[in-house]
Amino acid sequence: MAKTILVVDDSASLRQVVKMALTGAGYNVLEAGDGQAALALLDGRSINMVVCDVNMPVMNGIEFVKAAKQLPAYKFLPILMLTTESQEEKKEQGKAAGAKAWMVKPFAPTQLVNAVSKLCT
Amino acid sequence: MHTTTDNAAAEQAVPPLVRLCSGVLPVWARHLAASRAQSETAVSEMMQAFASISPHLQAAQRQSQEITAALSQGDGTITGLAQACESALAPLRGHAGLPAGGAAAIDTALALVHNAVQAIEQINTPFSHETYAVAAQVERMYIGFQYQDRISQMIALLESDIARLQESLGSSASDTPDLQAWLSRLEAQYAMAEQRQSHAGGPDTGAAADNETTFF
Repeated sequence: MAKTILVVDDSASLRQVVKMALTGAGYNVLEAGDGQAALALLDGRSINMVVCDVNMPVMNGIEFVKAAKQLPAYKFLPILMLTTESQEEKKEQGKAAGAKAWMVKPFAPTQLVNAVSKLCT
Repeated sequence: MHTTTDNAAAEQAVPPLVRLCSGVLPVWARHLAASRAQSETAVSEMMQAFASISPHLQAAQRQSQEITAALSQGDGTITGLAQACESALAPLRGHAGLPAGGAAAIDTALALVHNAVQAIEQINTPFSHETYAVAAQVERMYIGFQYQDRISQMIALLESDIARLQESLGSSASDTPDLQAWLSRLEAQYAMAEQRQSHAGGPDTGAAADNETTFF
């Protein structure tokens, strides 16, 4: 059975790029436009991993990771931050929040698929 | 109640540069917003078109890999079939009970099998090369599409800073932040290395080449 990845990004075109890369590798993809919309999808459904942007309106990526880690059912859900942010300070914030990996955009699809297959449970 | 004369007098009291900026900044902001919207629409259109051809490209690549696997050495492959024919028929060439012309018929049959295998291999070689070349270009397209996201973020920040300046022009002089405070607040909102480089007046080196994935 195909694994499901939740892709969180406020840019619809970026979500589409990620979706194409992941569906091409055999994953199912769910989409959300910000952290709050993503949290609403963590409602008991089976999600194997999250690929999440950092700078988003309503609820940013770091806040989302912290909130997701508070949910018992999703406490161990691996989260990869996919962002234009490349500062070490920001990476440390992601790590402290509970993210498992950090990838800077623009990314190569094979790079993303490799990271997802490594982290996906 | 204000009169037309009062309004005109109040307008005259506003420094000319402030009046100029109050008129120009909203126009700049609208142009930036329109540029951003158009680039997002254009990339979205391209993405949708690309999304429809991408599965076909992936299917062609998979087929090429399957053909290559079928041709490769080993039992059950086309090359294996040629080898099996050779192993089964070649020893019969010198068989005493072989009818006249039997050895020549075996050689002809083996030559036909070898030629067929060679022809299939020659067909697949350029096909395989082309599908790998297309895959490499598809990878570049995926990367190229993502630059719109970076541009959009940079423009959105400028739009917001223009709006902030516009708001500031309408406030009293004592409320206006100083230059350093303004720039510091702007800088704090940068996400990309090239924004920080531009802010500092450094050379434009384009998007940062940070292609490593950091695992925690």
